[in-house]
Amino acid sequence: MEYLYGIIIIVGLYVILASSFNLIIGYGGLISIAHPVFFALGAYASAVLSRDFGIPVPLAMLAGMLVAFVSSIALALPSLRVSGDYLLIASIGFQLGVLEVIKNLRFTGGPGGFTNIPPFLIRDLGRESYVLLVMVVMIAVVLLVQWIARSDYGRAMSAMRDDELAFASVGRDAMWMKIAIFALGSGIAGVAGALYAHYFRFIAPEQFEILQSAAILTMVVVGGMRTTWGPVVGALLLEAVPQAITFLQLPPSVLGPIQGLLFTGLVLVFMFFRPQGLVPAVDVWRAPQARAGKAEEFRP
Amino acid sequence: MLDATILLQILWTSLATSSYYVLFAVAFALVLKVTRLFNFAQAAIMTIAFYTAFVAVQWLMWPVWAAFGGMMAVTLAASYLLERIGFEALRKRGVSVMFVFVFTLMVSEFVAYVAMLIFGTWPQTIFPTIFWPATLIGNIAISAWDLPAIATTLGSLAALFVFMRFSRVGQFMVGVADNPDLAELYGINKRQIFLVAMLIAGVFSALGMFLYGTRAQVLPQTGVSLMLFAIAATIMGGIGNIAGAAITAVILGIIQNASILVISSEWQGFLLYLFLFLAIVFFPNGLRLPRRHVRFGTATRELAPSPDTPAAESKA
Amino acid sequence: MSVVLTVNGLQKSFGGIVVARDVNLTLHRGRIVGLIGPNGAGKTSLFNLITGVVKPDAGAVVLDGESLNTLKFHQRIRRGLSRTWQNIRLFPSLPVIDNLLVATHDYPGERLVNILFRRTRLRAHNKAARDKAMDVLGKMGLAGVADDRVVDLPYGQQKLIGVARALMGDAKCLLLDEPMAGVEGQSYAAMQRVVREVAEHGVAVCVVEHNVAFIRDLCDEGVFMFSGAIMARGSVAELIRDPQLTELYFGH
Repeated sequence: MEYLYGIIIIVGLYVILASSFNLIIGYGGLISIAHPVFFALGAYASAVLSRDFGIPVPLAMLAGMLVAFVSSIALALPSLRVSGDYLLIASIGFQLGVLEVIKNLRFTGGPGGFTNIPPFLIRDLGRESYVLLVMVVMIAVVLLVQWIARSDYGRAMSAMRDDELAFASVGRDAMWMKIAIFALGSGIAGVAGALYAHYFRFIAPEQFEILQSAAILTMVVVGGMRTTWGPVVGALLLEAVPQAITFLQLPPSVLGPIQGLLFTGLVLVFMFFRPQGLVPAVDVWRAPQARAGKAEEFRP
Repeated sequence: MLDATILLQILWTSLATSSYYVLFAVAFALVLKVTRLFNFAQAAIMTIAFYTAFVAVQWLMWPVWAAFGGMMAVTLAASYLLERIGFEALRKRGVSVMFVFVFTLMVSEFVAYVAMLIFGTWPQTIFPTIFWPATLIGNIAISAWDLPAIATTLGSLAALFVFMRFSRVGQFMVGVADNPDLAELYGINKRQIFLVAMLIAGVFSALGMFLYGTRAQVLPQTGVSLMLFAIAATIMGGIGNIAGAAITAVILGIIQNASILVISSEWQGFLLYLFLFLAIVFFPNGLRLPRRHVRFGTATRELAPSPDTPAAESKA
Repeated sequence: MSVVLTVNGLQKSFGGIVVARDVNLTLHRGRIVGLIGPNGAGKTSLFNLITGVVKPDAGAVVLDGESLNTLKFHQRIRRGLSRTWQNIRLFPSLPVIDNLLVATHDYPGERLVNILFRRTRLRAHNKAARDKAMDVLGKMGLAGVADDRVVDLPYGQQKLIGVARALMGDAKCLLLDEPMAGVEGQSYAAMQRVVREVAEHGVAVCVVEHNVAFIRDLCDEGVFMFSGAIMARGSVAELIRDPQLTELYFGH
């Protein structure tokens, strides 16, 4: 039973990560591979603050989100000042660089990882309560992303993605919109990190490496960008697969690379043959009231 | 105390070891200039080159020259496939430049995972040992690896220069780099030129990896890390400026090596990412003035004032 | 007649080509200036320079007494400039009405504070914006296509919507880049009507056009550009009659 709970929580966290990444890459039109690093920052911040500084877990989790949020602005602001393309390159450096820092610092536990993270809820209310917590956050995130996409803000983002020059010609500043979306998506990844840390109670740099970037990107691309359910489908599908592989009893030295191959291979295949993903997105944004009367089917 | 000897030693060693950095940077810069692509799949080519040489020398026990030739052949084949099957298909589809970048990044990761499966995750080198005898000149130790490395790099750069300046194909390449549409109007075959650029980049990547792999240890993910250096050098040197990329690679190499004087060795890896970040934040247009591309009759192209002009609107 | 926009000594070269040669231009409230000249004269480039899409080598742009020189494109738009594009550039992922709604300079619907706490005020604002957009569309005879996809509409209607979008920000100065190119019939008449009405409301308008009839019917004065420089100013009728200008126009 405990094993099952662990899987459910992992899937739930990936849904959160994929949805928030969809916000950044799908709706914001920003390409970055740094999502796992904000997941890590949220996890580490929450873990360190609660274990070594005695801060109560809920507050530490909030701090984790804040750390992810603020550091994402530190990454996005200078990069987007130049252009959106540079964000991608900067994100690569950020993703790899921050992990290097974590590996080399003593207070993060270094490459060996950070252990004995204080638990949350499971001692008092049982593991089921944590599963419930993750599910609630997951549903909230999915609905939040959907709400944003359908809102006036989502409409503006759609225009921004269409034509940034025309967007400027109606007096709109694309840069701050992008930074806001990036920060929000990364902050949510930080929340996921904190949730991860206080259940599994052990975090290590290798859990947040570029393999995760590929995994999350695949979930969004395969599932369907700019849809509410695409990332959910993608996360479910791509967690079922590695779970299935673990039953094959492969040695860990082979398991890691094979998982990596599966993820990157899937991304490549889908980017090549079906870039729109499994859940198709609509081509036109419509206001929620107008949608009801429209003949064409709207899948959010 | 900063001894003159220590400084000179560091300077010499950095100069020698920046040889492969220069080759990687030039390869990346060349492809970027000619095809307007951020070719992160160069890391895949580099990984393939290294492990081919490794297999040839250590598993197949081939003599060095045969291993070198085999590495070149495989690398050229891989570059050919990447250009013709990969990039051409994406170009036909009119995907954005960033789509290509993500695609190439995934290709490099894919190759890295294949390498992990086949070769494991422990460090490898092309020759069983990376120890090279050294001679003392003055008080400076000059490794037997240094001079051939520097010679290879200088020779390759010279060859590339001569090729681009004096050969027909080379001049076509410059034309395509400056203005691909105009070049096409003049009857230059863009497809062929793109392939030539990719093949040259493949050769440089292979050379660079052969040098690197005979002096340092290589892991499946090393190609990706080395690429960051090449990208930083290309950005700082000025996009479109191959000579700038080469010179910047040398300077960065020297700084990275000299940093051992002030920071501990485990942080040197981090320095690399710091370079990249600084390059983007402070020098998006390069440390030197980027060469101006004269475009006739394309004044309307200047509508989008972003500095990364190669990426602005090309469908490459 | 008060001055709305002043352009002083604008200079710009690309490579070896001079697209703006010491250009001076003044636009007044309620007056429509026609900018004519052969292709490559630098008319669109002038619009790009005025709006800040392209940075000039020298020169100043002043809107309503305020210098725009240091401002970015979108900032100048917020100060009261507005422009259309030769290639229209509507947002294909939005229906017609939303193309207009996204172009107002005020969007309380995107602020969380308003969504959560000021719902009535927000509803009122949205209604007002929608009414305004429908009003503009109505004047062009396009009220019926408000919910349609932009790509489904004929070219002439798309162009009109482009102008409608440019009007949503209550601009003081409107720059129209070849609004009539490729437009005919009902859309043509509608465009004329709209531009005249906009000027009557006190907006300073400058139109780049090749369609001589349109310029002659609509513009209060004309400015002839050639090779980046302003060669002549005067009434449109005079400019059209001038044989030297005609030769520049067609001989080129």
